[in-house]
Amino acid sequence: MTDVVRVTVDEGRCIGIGQCELLEPEVFLLGDEDAISRVVDGATLDRTRAVAVVEACPSMAISIKS
Amino acid sequence: MSGRAVSEETVDRSTRLASPVDIASPALYLDGIPHEGFAAIRETDGLVWHPYGPVGDDGADGGFWAVTRHADVREMSRNPELFSSAIGHTNLWDLEADALEARRSLIDSDAPDHTRLRRVVSRAFTPKNTRNWEGMARDIAAELVEDFAAGGGGDWVEQVAAPLPIRVILAILGVPLEDADYLVELTNHLVEGTGDASSLPDDAYGNTTPTRLLPFNSPASHALFEYAEKMRQLRLAEPGDDLVTGLLEAEADGERLSANEYRNFFQLLVFAGNETTRTAMIHGALAFAEHPEQWATLRDDPSLITGAVDEVIRWATPVLHMRRTATTDTELAGTAIAEGDKVVMWYAGANRDPEVFPAPFRFDVTRSDNPHFAFGGGGPHFCLGAFLARMEIQVLLEEMVARNVVLEPGSAPVRLASNFVHGVASLDLGVAPSGEGG
Repeated sequence: MTDVVRVTVDEGRCIGIGQCELLEPEVFLLGDEDAISRVVDGATLDRTRAVAVVEACPSMAISIKS
Repeated sequence: MSGRAVSEETVDRSTRLASPVDIASPALYLDGIPHEGFAAIRETDGLVWHPYGPVGDDGADGGFWAVTRHADVREMSRNPELFSSAIGHTNLWDLEADALEARRSLIDSDAPDHTRLRRVVSRAFTPKNTRNWEGMARDIAAELVEDFAAGGGGDWVEQVAAPLPIRVILAILGVPLEDADYLVELTNHLVEGTGDASSLPDDAYGNTTPTRLLPFNSPASHALFEYAEKMRQLRLAEPGDDLVTGLLEAEADGERLSANEYRNFFQLLVFAGNETTRTAMIHGALAFAEHPEQWATLRDDPSLITGAVDEVIRWATPVLHMRRTATTDTELAGTAIAEGDKVVMWYAGANRDPEVFPAPFRFDVTRSDNPHFAFGGGGPHFCLGAFLARMEIQVLLEEMVARNVVLEPGSAPVRLASNFVHGVASLDLGVAPSGEGG
């Protein structure tokens, strides 16, 4: 059974580095105007991949929604 | 304070003068990165206090903590509130306050200044924008590779590794291509500023600013600032679809870049967007010439190119270190650090850490897990141009594979005397006759 989770971006911490969009382009999109990462509406991730992208964010702006 | 607080008395540096090799000596790097020195430091418990510069009455400038393990570089990078980029300098030596202020760029800022500046420029370097530049970069790479192969080889630095990144960054900035050679010349002088000697008199390029106020203590920075100002005037009068226009028009939190922020940022882009990628392309080419079986592996399976790009970057580690300054008494790797201590992250050490990289001294394009720190150890200062650098190296390798250009070793590389950049001034390489090699 796959454990599927939702993720969220703290817009106050995001500085637009873009590692999340590189790893999970279906889930994260950087804004054209402000380069702030936003989660695509309704997007989910397997927990292992979510943990990987949380780890990868240099700004520590991503978290898993409980 | 918490129980982690330490007093000067408990920070015992005297027992830790154990560094067997002076990794701060620029001259040492003429023979390549002193890897045995980094290995010895990595294997020492805790952190090694490394002597550097004169010891003042307060002992303040007498050395730095050498951080060489992957895990420790990571922890430091992700705790910018403990390890500041804005205090002292991000290079080994301290700057006076007025010099630090005059030279301040994204690299030597902390939040909230850093956050504001970074947001202004991040939008230009997203994965999506980087993809928009790929075709342009590919055309430049193809032309340079074809010319190099047609000539049967030569100086890889002059003919491929230097022109490719500078042409790409200039196209992005909207700077005329005919100025590429001049800007390469200026950034070469900036690199000299990280070594022992500068070949320029202080008044070169009409400079009248005390060089201590200029990035890299170099009068070439004055010339770059002048150039940045010329571009600013040009684009204020006639905006274009380029990054200089973008920087001038960009706002963050309702503010635009100040004139000083703009010119320091222009300087940073021309330097970092050029010198570092060049260095990766140089060490990558040398590695493939010396390890033809790795090139054959790549040629036989081009799907490995994406991973090979990161192995080239790990292997090259173009920026050898970044320095931070402790904002408070703290601890790293079990070692007590006092407020104000210099703490230096040696990416050159972290990228050969056997705890993370199996057989770290093997150049291996099939390496599947490659969490190198050539773009920094994470945290807010993660390389702004990481996507751009990866894209440029990727198109270079792809265009070489497409043409079956097989590099062969020539004379030994001419390395720079710098403990900061892993630079190479020239690299003579041959090209295997068509259909041979590998």
